[in-house]
Amino acid sequence: MGSGVWSTDVYDAADRYRRSTGRSAFAYSDSGARTVHSKLDPHGTVRESRDSADHPESISIAVLFDVTGSMGDVPRVLQTKLPKLLGLLLRNGYARDPQILFGAVGDATCDRVPLQIGQFESDNRMDDDLGRIVLEGGGGGQLTESYELALYYLARHTELDCFTRRGRRGYLFVIGDELAYDRVKAREVRNVCGDDLSEDIPIRRIVSEVRRKFDTYFLLPRGASYAGNAKVLDFWRGLLGQNAIELDDPNAVCETIALAVGLGEAAIDLDAGLSDLAAAGSTVAASVSTALAPVERGGRVLSTWGLPTTLHGDDRISRL
Amino acid sequence: MNNVLVADLGYGDAGKGTVVDWLCAKGIDGRPVAAVVRYNGGGQAGHSVVLPDGRRHVFAQFGAGTLRGVHTHLSRFMVVDPLALVVEADHLADVGVPDALDRLTVEGDALLTTPYHRAANRAREIARGAHRHGSCGKGVGEAMGYALAHPSDAPRVADAQAPGVLGAKLAVLRDRLVDELGPLDVPPVEATVRAFGAFAARVPIVSRAFLGNLLAVGPVVFEGAQGVLLDEWHGFHPYTTWSTTTFDNAETLLVEAGQAGNATRLGVLRVVTTRHGPGPLVTEDPALPLTDPNNPTNRWQGRFRFGHFDAVAHRYAIEVCGGVDGIALTHLDIVGPALKFCDSYDWTDRLLPGPVGDLARQEALTRRLFSTRPRFSNGPVDWPSAVSAALDAPVVVTSHGPTADGKQVLRPNWAARAHPAAAGGHPAR
Repeated sequence: MGSGVWSTDVYDAADRYRRSTGRSAFAYSDSGARTVHSKLDPHGTVRESRDSADHPESISIAVLFDVTGSMGDVPRVLQTKLPKLLGLLLRNGYARDPQILFGAVGDATCDRVPLQIGQFESDNRMDDDLGRIVLEGGGGGQLTESYELALYYLARHTELDCFTRRGRRGYLFVIGDELAYDRVKAREVRNVCGDDLSEDIPIRRIVSEVRRKFDTYFLLPRGASYAGNAKVLDFWRGLLGQNAIELDDPNAVCETIALAVGLGEAAIDLDAGLSDLAAAGSTVAASVSTALAPVERGGRVLSTWGLPTTLHGDDRISRL
Repeated sequence: MNNVLVADLGYGDAGKGTVVDWLCAKGIDGRPVAAVVRYNGGGQAGHSVVLPDGRRHVFAQFGAGTLRGVHTHLSRFMVVDPLALVVEADHLADVGVPDALDRLTVEGDALLTTPYHRAANRAREIARGAHRHGSCGKGVGEAMGYALAHPSDAPRVADAQAPGVLGAKLAVLRDRLVDELGPLDVPPVEATVRAFGAFAARVPIVSRAFLGNLLAVGPVVFEGAQGVLLDEWHGFHPYTTWSTTTFDNAETLLVEAGQAGNATRLGVLRVVTTRHGPGPLVTEDPALPLTDPNNPTNRWQGRFRFGHFDAVAHRYAIEVCGGVDGIALTHLDIVGPALKFCDSYDWTDRLLPGPVGDLARQEALTRRLFSTRPRFSNGPVDWPSAVSAALDAPVVVTSHGPTADGKQVLRPNWAARAHPAAAGGHPAR
């Protein structure tokens, strides 16, 4: 991939054409499919994010979002916005060799597709994964989805060169509006991932495991059904500290993710990132600013649960 | 029914955009315009249109009638830039035209300009340094030059439908350019194929016969790009473009559609003669108190230059393109005592057209023009009459402001008559 603006243009153009059709990029889902697409099926798989000649310093970025009914229109908004992410990261120099994986979270207790996982891609093939995601529309109602299953998969079924070769964590963004179940259930893991666990894993243990590998964020968009719900935010702040972020405007999701990566990679500070947004004519700067200000300030943790002590000093962001 | 061919009789920037917009807003002889056809150039065009409500767009590939809901057809004489096209469509959506891509057809034989052409174009202009040619840096000339050298290897619009074919052509193109110019900052072939495939999936790619359908619907406006004085053969070599900027391509398209000569030729001129980029501008006067908000200084063309009305150069333009039926004279709102009128040079009042292909002759002419001095008289009181008399062609419409409302028709039914010289069909190139 070249480093010039053309790289962005080529990737950007395909996305612009796709968006211009008004045709949903959730074509697979809209075609009536209700089972996981074979390319997104997590069963018995490992997702690899590898260095290559073109991408010698890959940095892994996983973006998973809740596709259950409680999220309302948010998944479709994300679908139109997420293809911009690669371009944003490259154009602004926030990350040199990003490899992005898209995935979706449902409810393993009642949904047919509790977990859908794409591949880490360095070009817009990741958009194809986005198009294969089945929108559940189920779940909801009990304020809980199977986020813990997704965290389990990312913790144990990914291989990241940035982590194993260079000791740098990847980034994980989970976009959702509900609580996780309190434990990763061995039975669900067997069905969905194909692993034999001897016992369930408590949510805190899997969170701490995934955070060793990924700098992990939870984004709670306003406009989703439980948005602003203090219980949900408190739950995730209890697990992730200031990395649980409330998002005023789902349209700002790409910019928020890009800036969080830029901050994490120490490529920018928040002010510089916000000026990049303004220069690009973005109208979401205010929303991004609100969302990320606590992240940049770091340290200030709003939680009724208290933070696990292991998180202090463990988080690149909080040292900024 | 009458079709209208629009061309700039100077070095570009005279106001083709606003004239085409006006034609599409008002219709031709009381009939709505069926389509705007681009018949030369590529995405380097910059045809500015302002609507009365203040919305504006600078058209690069879409026809300048798009804000009026008029269909655009890109003929095979156009060099198509799919990456820029969709960015332009998005901007059109921002100014209230969300369906521009739904009103677009592209001829499959048209050349494509690619990131590889663009990178090569820029590498060459940088290497030329002070001797740059004033290229826009968008790879249009590079695409045409490559197609001349390797006609069967040149990527064309229809190839975007066949990823295997396109990928092979792009790989050969990239390798040839890198061999010649050294490493270029370009994206991988597969990513480019993917982007062009998205273009092909979105935009209808049509055959040569499609234009006949448009002509059957109603009058068609053929929108030229750049200016006749930049023509690849008749311009002042080497400060020219890789494109035929006369009416020839448009006449060829009409002949093929069985409508030979069924068109009125409208030449566009400003009350000042301007040039963006290097090359002869005999009447140049840096003291002219003018600026052009549509033409900021850019890295590839440099600053925008103003000169007094150069009737000698414009007479030459009319002669090389075989005559015009009418002139649209723009920017009458800037007329003032500072503007002068040049009807002759210190050595002649007529530049003789040469044969197509004699670039040595054109280069000699260029050298002569660099040492030519203009003879000025004071600007006329009645600009339309003075221009009509000096160029022996009637000014049929004048423009007094940026919008269609600022146009004044001096000759009703000006479009009723076809151009006599073209009635038998213009020699096709």
